Amino acid sequence: MEFDLKTIEALAPDQASLSAASKLTKRTNWPRLEKHEQQALIWGECQGSGSNPYRVVVDTGDHGYKCTCPSRKFPCKHTLALMWIAATAPASFAAANTTPEWVNDWLGRRRKTTPQPAQPVPGAEAKRIGEAAQADESTAVEDIAAEERREAAQRKRAESTREAVSAGLDELDQWIADQLRLGLSGFVDASSDRCRRIAARLVDMKAAALAGRIDEIPSRLMGLRSEERSDAAIRELGKLVLLAKAWRAAPDDPELKRLVSTSEPREQVLSSPDARQVESLWEVLGEKIESRRDGLVSHSTWLLDLKSATPQFALLLDFFPASAGRRSNAFAPGDRFNARLVFYPSRMPLRALVAERTGEVAPGAWPDFAFGTAKDPLATHASHQDAAPWIADCPLMLPPGAILLDDRGTAWWQAEDEPQGIALPIAGAVDQTLLGLDLAATAALWNGARLELLAAQSEFGRLDLA
Amino acid sequence: MRDCWITGGATFDLAPAGWKAIAGGASPDEQERRLLAIAAQALDVALRPAAPTTLKRRPPLPRLVLPILPARFRPLLRAALKHVADARRKTRVAALVASRGFVLHPMDWMPSDQTCPDVYAPWVDWQASVDGERHAPREKLTAENWDEFYPAARRLALADMRRTDPTSARMLIEAKASGEPAEVRLALVELMRFGLSAEDAPFLKSLSADRSGKVRELAGRLLARLGEHVRPSDGGPDDPVAELAAFITEGRSGFIRRRTIYTPAKLKSQAQEQRRAELFEICNLVDLIERFNTTEAEFIAGWQFGADNKADILIARMVAASGSEAALAQMADTLVAEGGKPALFVLHLMPRLDSRRKRVLIRLILKETTYLGMINLAEGIDADWLEWDDLTNGQALAALRSAAGGKDDAARRGLDDVLETIGFLATATTAAKLIDDMVEAGVPPAAPSLGLLRLNASLAGPGTNT
Repeated sequence: MEFDLKTIEALAPDQASLSAASKLTKRTNWPRLEKHEQQALIWGECQGSGSNPYRVVVDTGDHGYKCTCPSRKFPCKHTLALMWIAATAPASFAAANTTPEWVNDWLGRRRKTTPQPAQPVPGAEAKRIGEAAQADESTAVEDIAAEERREAAQRKRAESTREAVSAGLDELDQWIADQLRLGLSGFVDASSDRCRRIAARLVDMKAAALAGRIDEIPSRLMGLRSEERSDAAIRELGKLVLLAKAWRAAPDDPELKRLVSTSEPREQVLSSPDARQVESLWEVLGEKIESRRDGLVSHSTWLLDLKSATPQFALLLDFFPASAGRRSNAFAPGDRFNARLVFYPSRMPLRALVAERTGEVAPGAWPDFAFGTAKDPLATHASHQDAAPWIADCPLMLPPGAILLDDRGTAWWQAEDEPQGIALPIAGAVDQTLLGLDLAATAALWNGARLELLAAQSEFGRLDLA
Repeated sequence: MRDCWITGGATFDLAPAGWKAIAGGASPDEQERRLLAIAAQALDVALRPAAPTTLKRRPPLPRLVLPILPARFRPLLRAALKHVADARRKTRVAALVASRGFVLHPMDWMPSDQTCPDVYAPWVDWQASVDGERHAPREKLTAENWDEFYPAARRLALADMRRTDPTSARMLIEAKASGEPAEVRLALVELMRFGLSAEDAPFLKSLSADRSGKVRELAGRLLARLGEHVRPSDGGPDDPVAELAAFITEGRSGFIRRRTIYTPAKLKSQAQEQRRAELFEICNLVDLIERFNTTEAEFIAGWQFGADNKADILIARMVAASGSEAALAQMADTLVAEGGKPALFVLHLMPRLDSRRKRVLIRLILKETTYLGMINLAEGIDADWLEWDDLTNGQALAALRSAAGGKDDAARRGLDDVLETIGFLATATTAAKLIDDMVEAGVPPAAPSLGLLRLNASLAGPGTNT
């Protein structure tokens, strides 16, 4: 390890970064810390504020670094924390013989530079590692009266948010009634403008999550054939009515609050007694990265519980600004790891956080899931809808089947023992090779109109389909 | 109700009684919203997509003779495939893996044409199949079951038959070729090169009346390889062989043992050079040597290599196209013995050279070092034979090290290509040693250019099959 604290001070962009980094130097923040001495590399995974851990790698030779977080500070607090641990507790790093694929990717892309002595940047002379620790201590002192004042202010803010959201939902109700009066045909054609307008109003009325959902309606409609769009519009708007009614009935329900206004902070989920915790072996099924109209990129990582007798899924969901650029993925499809997941409290818990990761496992086949005797591949979807009718995407594990083509070249999934039975249309084009494979089990998302394939098992092993 | 909503208006009166009971007792707008919510839920839970009756299933992708590459090698394979530029080089990756006893996963790579390793023929045919009615049978190809074979399987079966039972194969081609289109006919006649013998001459002569000029020309070249003349030379001024002979000067050399030598005549203009190139293309070696009243062996022995590089290339091409097997071998050995630049003209003979001579050529290129990049042009070579000594015999390794350590971008790009080709040719031990050597010389350990070498090195040892 070739770090000393002076170097880290010099590299830090400002005092705030050092202070933030000091809070991340606890061992518990880092489920993985490894080093490769021949290549002069240290790397680790830091559990940041997102669902996915941030992956950080540092070249101890020339102080080159890379972190998957969206921060615009270079180096970011995660990188500084990794260096800090290397300087103060080098024994924390387990020696590795090989470098992981994501480290190799970075090494392959980067241009090696000659080592530069760390020079303080202008305006950042006052950075002191000692001060970072002091700042931490000073915040530990709490004034009871100030705490009470803060809680009162918080209650007041919550009350005013609730009033604003309630007023926003009244406007939404009126807007939906207007769309029905004017005709859904016109709504489908002008959905982009109309949805944008009501979404902007809802943002003003502090119903940001609902606004984000409405903003995505036009693209969901346009992904369908024209003759399907009216039904889809009925479904989308009807679900909004249901969600608004449910929120009015229970405005403090955490799931409904999350879907209408904002998500609770990560710490609140982790400490919630209502949050379901599952310690198991998980496989990354696939990822969905979508740019949204509100300027955010949503990054969904779907996981499958390999120890459950029936298919159980988890969703790690992160949002980051599109302007932060492309982010490296935290997981690769097919990765397996033991972890304790904490699910956001909801009727059908799906969204989760990784609370603890204990190690990676070699890939293999999925367990034989009990698909049940029900002939309906959408039975899981129907039970999700019964419990929480506002859910848009439902993960499914489909029984043995295959992908077929219709006359227009659209791909459909169909169960193997039911050539005349239900077939589900697949979103987008599929790889032609897939048409010749028997799928023993297929993990996919059903949105009420289209199936989005995530992964499958076949006689050729695992297939990445996301 | 749907139609009413599409055009706009109230639907309450049209709703089923049960729905009315739930939705009634509110303002007209609220009634419509309630009905919309019920309809949305009904669409999601009660209705299923209507599957078209015309769904078509592709025949299952056939299993290949070799096992699929184990999952743990797939990240390395994908990295190697991602880095290589074109389909030809991707095919080379597949050939390397096939040489180690595995085939690629169909979702990683599918053969795009018939230049892939033979083991993939069932997949080539599967891709070519459109209606799924026919299948590629495994029994011996005969005139009766000719139509039951897909073109790739037929070609493969005929090539095999030409090696083991050339007479039957010829009779089959003779019987069936005339009914095929020109392109297929050309491919079938091209197979006659395997096990070509004097017995094939009558059939090849009969092709002089073929409708396709390309088939006539190919048959002529094959006949020429057997020492047969396609058309008698009239020796007149319009005879191309006579015209070509005029570009070659016959002379005598040696004091004690006089022998005949053939030197390319000095050309005076670009037009002459162009004409000479055309004549070398259209004339056959057998006609040219008859013109000089000599034999193939004497003509090649007497050719003055080094006097005119362009003429040397033309004569090498002519031998490759219409020379006998003996002439080809003599030409290759003579060029290699000449050394220097002419030795590399053996590249033009490459498609017809046997494996041993191809290897000699590659070793020569590596030893000469000056034209190291030429190994990228080598085609149809076996994978998995290049030993460490082949790199250290000459200056090849030193040249690679110097390019790796240098700052010249063009040299680095050239190095990338050469490393990729060596990644295909090398044995696993050589590949592993070369990676270490290149990393020491300055290539980043995770450089994409080392991708194929890494895959090669990993596919070795007793653990590969587990």
